[in-house]
Amino acid sequence: MTASLLAVLLVVQVDSAQAPRSPRTVMAIGQVALINTFVNRVDAWVFKQDWARSGTRVWGQHLRLGWEWDEDAFTTNMFAHPYHGGLYFNAARSNGVDFFQSVPYAIMGSWTWEYFGEKYRPSLNDWFMTSFGGITLGEMFHRVSSTIRDNGARGRGRTLRELAALPMDPIGGFNRLLRGQWKGIGPNPAEHDPDNYVLRVGAGLRFAEGLISDSGVAKMGAVVVDLLYGDQFAQEYKTPFDVFNVRLILNSNGGFNMLRASGRLYGTNLNSATARVRHVLAINQRYDYVKNPAHSIGGQSVEIGVNSRWRVGSRGYGLRTALFLDGILMGAIDAPGTGLGERNYDFGPGVGARWELAVERHGARFLRIFGQGEYIHAVSGASADHVVDVSGVELTIPITHGFGIAGHTYVFNRRSRYSDRPRDSRDYPEARILLVWTKAGFKP
Amino acid sequence: MALCTLLAAPAWAQQPRPRRPHRSGLWGEIGFGPGRVRVACSGCTDVVVASGTTGYVRIGGTASDRVLIGFEAFAFLHRAFAFSPGDSIRTAETATATVVVIWFPSRRGLFVKGGVGIAGGQFIFPGTTGADTSSGAGIGLTFGGGWDFAISRKFAVTMNFAAYVTAVGDVVLPGRRIDDVIATMYQGAIGFTFR
Repeated sequence: MTASLLAVLLVVQVDSAQAPRSPRTVMAIGQVALINTFVNRVDAWVFKQDWARSGTRVWGQHLRLGWEWDEDAFTTNMFAHPYHGGLYFNAARSNGVDFFQSVPYAIMGSWTWEYFGEKYRPSLNDWFMTSFGGITLGEMFHRVSSTIRDNGARGRGRTLRELAALPMDPIGGFNRLLRGQWKGIGPNPAEHDPDNYVLRVGAGLRFAEGLISDSGVAKMGAVVVDLLYGDQFAQEYKTPFDVFNVRLILNSNGGFNMLRASGRLYGTNLNSATARVRHVLAINQRYDYVKNPAHSIGGQSVEIGVNSRWRVGSRGYGLRTALFLDGILMGAIDAPGTGLGERNYDFGPGVGARWELAVERHGARFLRIFGQGEYIHAVSGASADHVVDVSGVELTIPITHGFGIAGHTYVFNRRSRYSDRPRDSRDYPEARILLVWTKAGFKP
Repeated sequence: MALCTLLAAPAWAQQPRPRRPHRSGLWGEIGFGPGRVRVACSGCTDVVVASGTTGYVRIGGTASDRVLIGFEAFAFLHRAFAFSPGDSIRTAETATATVVVIWFPSRRGLFVKGGVGIAGGQFIFPGTTGADTSSGAGIGLTFGGGWDFAISRKFAVTMNFAAYVTAVGDVVLPGRRIDDVIATMYQGAIGFTFR
């Protein structure tokens, strides 16, 4: 079945080698089905996984019993599932479907997988994380990979660009390969050039108290990547995620440590676009994943708030502030005594707020002071309420040719209140010293 | 050329304007109908199914010709609910408050909707001093569809078929706790839409 479906899609795909002008919805739906069929059959036939051997009897049982909560590991639920959802979303995006019309692909792709793709009962948290996380990560990956790819490039550089984009958008890369777009010369899509961006990569040391053991300060290597794609003060709102920011932290102890992404779903100026003091209302969709030996927290959120900018002088310097309120659609947090079965963290919705004050030039921040507080009410796991607050200061001192030195301090605090056991409160302070490289594009 | 333009203008003006969906601008809807609930929990080997009464209120605005955004409050009521044959629960109420997006794929009355928000569940049972209550709050999701039958420019009768998923956490009953309750409600309802 997989082979025949693949063959049909290949014929249709190769038959139309140009970039899609109108959405290829049938192709997108077929690829979503193909993703599920392919993953299921590979797990069943190659990896001999019993959970993948679902059939009509299992499907009927799932339709009768409905949702439950699963016991998967934090990384599986909070990163792997959103990444998988991004594949569904980008099956639509890479076939010319727009952002909002791609949303049902992520939701239905996940729903069909939960009900028909595995023997486990459908998991509500999986569906949630795959759908909403898939939208955020999918659109972000779609845009970043479109920026990396260059339809005007030639030779080895062109191939390297296509390969670099592949881990973020494998479905888009697959479609481009079949359409001959890994080599063909043509115009780039609008997402290729965000007009304004700041990419900052830092490598150095991280010092954290309580990260490895409850006593003493641990020292480890860290890589921090920040991407600001677009600038809400330099460009009017056009499409969802035309402005977004991402932070990725890799760590020598624990590897993949943090991925945070927040994209603008909607924005509007609250005053004149030419004023020296600007205020922009924004509604953002946010994805959070933080996992280290001391704490794990993540979730899908929608936030609304105001970004402001005060121009200072005439050389592009400014002061920026942000004040946002958020609703956590579904969050996850570990804490002593939480979880369900083998799972050691709770799921639940919540609310929160964040603020930020930054000194910047053309969008590149040199000093950031920020704080964030979140409340999560557990609906699966312990009978508990969790309050998290995070605050920090980040200073970057430019030296030469885009290089600089950065110092970060960060304090994570959480308090958990249980219905059947004593309250728990913990702090995790940490500091980072990094050598950073900044590349920025700015179009006034 | 000016003459051509003048002659062409009335013809252009007389072209039928695309018909908008029934709902535009500010709109509101209220409806009622029967529902069925399926309650699952962690560690439960089976689910509890019961029928009850549902009602909803929706208000919202128009994002584009085919997309509406609104707020929806939904409630399900069942007066003889029990998690198992031995339970003496009398009343189960579940409600959701969600932000919903309604999409009209064509210019007819057919629509599909989806939404996410908060949910609450309350179970009232006989206690030692009258009625005791166990309640929980959590996540609410809704998906569904329907059809607007336009009666006039300002009023429509709306058929609704929807599913509501509510995850309300633990329910504490006399002598036991039911963990991580997920109630899924299926509703068929008739609504009245005003704009």
